[in-house]
Amino acid sequence: MSSVEQQIRDAARQYLENGVYCVTGYERGPRGKVRPAFIYQASDVDRLVWGPECDLNLVNYVHQFKQPLRRGEPPPKVAVVVRPCDARAINLLVHEQQIKRENVKAIGVACTGATPGDPERQACQVCHERVPVTYDTLVQAEGEAGAPPAQDNYTDIVDMENWTPRQRLDYWLKEFDRCIRCYACRQACPGCYCFECVAEQVDPHWTSIALELPEKYFFHVMRAFHLAGRCVACDACEAACPMDIPLSQLNRKLAKEVEALFGYHTGEDPEKAPPLTTFNPAERLPL
Amino acid sequence: MKVLTQAQLKAWLDDLAHNLTLVAPVNVQGKLEYGKVSGSGDVAWDYQRTDMSPKTWLFPATESVLTVRQAQDGTQILEPPEPPPTVLFGVRPCDARGNLAIDALFLNKAPSDSQYARHREATTLIGVACPQMWASCFCTVVGGAPNSTEGLDILLTELQEDKQTLFAAQVLTEKGQKLAANMPGTEREVALPSPKLTAGLPTLRPSAEWQARFNEVYWQRVGDRCLACRACTFVCPACRCFDVRDEVASRQPGVQVFERLRAWDACTSEPYRRIAGGHNPRPTPQSRLRNRFYCKFMYYPQDFGSLGCVGCGRCIDACPVNIDILEVIASVEKMAG
Repeated sequence: MSSVEQQIRDAARQYLENGVYCVTGYERGPRGKVRPAFIYQASDVDRLVWGPECDLNLVNYVHQFKQPLRRGEPPPKVAVVVRPCDARAINLLVHEQQIKRENVKAIGVACTGATPGDPERQACQVCHERVPVTYDTLVQAEGEAGAPPAQDNYTDIVDMENWTPRQRLDYWLKEFDRCIRCYACRQACPGCYCFECVAEQVDPHWTSIALELPEKYFFHVMRAFHLAGRCVACDACEAACPMDIPLSQLNRKLAKEVEALFGYHTGEDPEKAPPLTTFNPAERLPL
Repeated sequence: MKVLTQAQLKAWLDDLAHNLTLVAPVNVQGKLEYGKVSGSGDVAWDYQRTDMSPKTWLFPATESVLTVRQAQDGTQILEPPEPPPTVLFGVRPCDARGNLAIDALFLNKAPSDSQYARHREATTLIGVACPQMWASCFCTVVGGAPNSTEGLDILLTELQEDKQTLFAAQVLTEKGQKLAANMPGTEREVALPSPKLTAGLPTLRPSAEWQARFNEVYWQRVGDRCLACRACTFVCPACRCFDVRDEVASRQPGVQVFERLRAWDACTSEPYRRIAGGHNPRPTPQSRLRNRFYCKFMYYPQDFGSLGCVGCGRCIDACPVNIDILEVIASVEKMAG
């Protein structure tokens, strides 16, 4: 057990002994895979583990605890183990009035950045945060933190922008063709919490129920737009996808646009609201 | 038994592809699924178990059930075209049993599903036995075997003789005989190798014991992490739920075309159980995930006489949060003591 794991377990125990209803972290399943774990009792905290394979965004699960457990009670307090990228989603959800900050205890695990040998994730290659922007308990590995990366110049996205529109369309249609429209990406996303998704709305019936290329294309592009300025770049969607579709590329393209237009990075500043959820009459965008 | 060399098998498949629709495992950008091939050269030979099951060819993910064409000269209702004669090659024994599980609902109980029946009728299944159970396989837990012949028309078993790869063909049905009429190879006796089985797997408890465990808090806990996506059901060779909707196919001056579509649906997703007025009797991921397991191991066996799981293990590999059906089977065994 690493010192990080010990610190996570200690924090979880603390919270559970002090009125927190559930701690969401990671455990190791019988096949050795890590997976989200829901700890309700202090005696169970030793199930919690930590490692580079912990690649979902557990803030996603706080939506399950937004409602009171019993009528008339306030919603339960919960604790969540978060990486710096995941923590940005807490700020997002506070801004969007989905959660009250005091109801979610963040056990923030400082990141050492992309380490050679770890699962390769584009987000980690360019992420510039080592310590979560918001946390209630900070968990840090002993020794020095990894060197912060150079500024994200979106070189991968610029490459794609230099393709012809035809090349881009061909590339994405090929990727989307593999999609089975299982919605794992949407379900793994802390920002996708609509009661009724456009892709499944019955009235109006925006899109066909067919699991075919036009619907997959529509779904992914629609979802990317709905996450413009809201995506926290945790890449949980890509991690959840059973068909390995490079969804982070789509999200990064829109993040680049939002950065250029508004100088905004989602969830980074708890004081700054997402540009697409605010209205500023003085705003003039180059068209 | 006919014994074919690899070259003979490939030549035979090329011949089949020439005359029929041949469907076989293909590699689509790193993911294995069953796709139409123009010859043996397109087949992804080196596979254990495909990522998507071959049920897509008998129960397509999206299918038009009927088409309504409205024009000045009247309204026509058109049935979908007959499916072409198709050979599904490289079917694993578990997936063939998956088709039998789907038959239990669509064919074995009246009224039969005419659409599915037509696909089934038009399709001949050539299986390839597994030499062993792979990492997430548990076919033996649910009554199958890596070399099961159930639901197949022909089963090929790979043999190694004098450093040569051979295939022994068991022709199992009339359909198989028809297809094998032009099969090359030598007729001789061979001893088929026994597949390597995985030891130490749990025992599936009978449905009555599942029934007794319905209210266990375990179902809440195992469902806590369920994302309520549809990956497990879409990769499953035995899941057969679908949604039906009438949609506009095209609208041109004077001619309107409507389609009645059916597409896969999944009991794990929120809208699946939503009813008129917006009420949802299975409102939580936990309740829906429990339903998925109870369907497979209690409701479906009780109502249709077949398990709803063939032990392929695809859902174990596809699940983003490692919900493991074999672990669930083991947990129910433990609860039952």
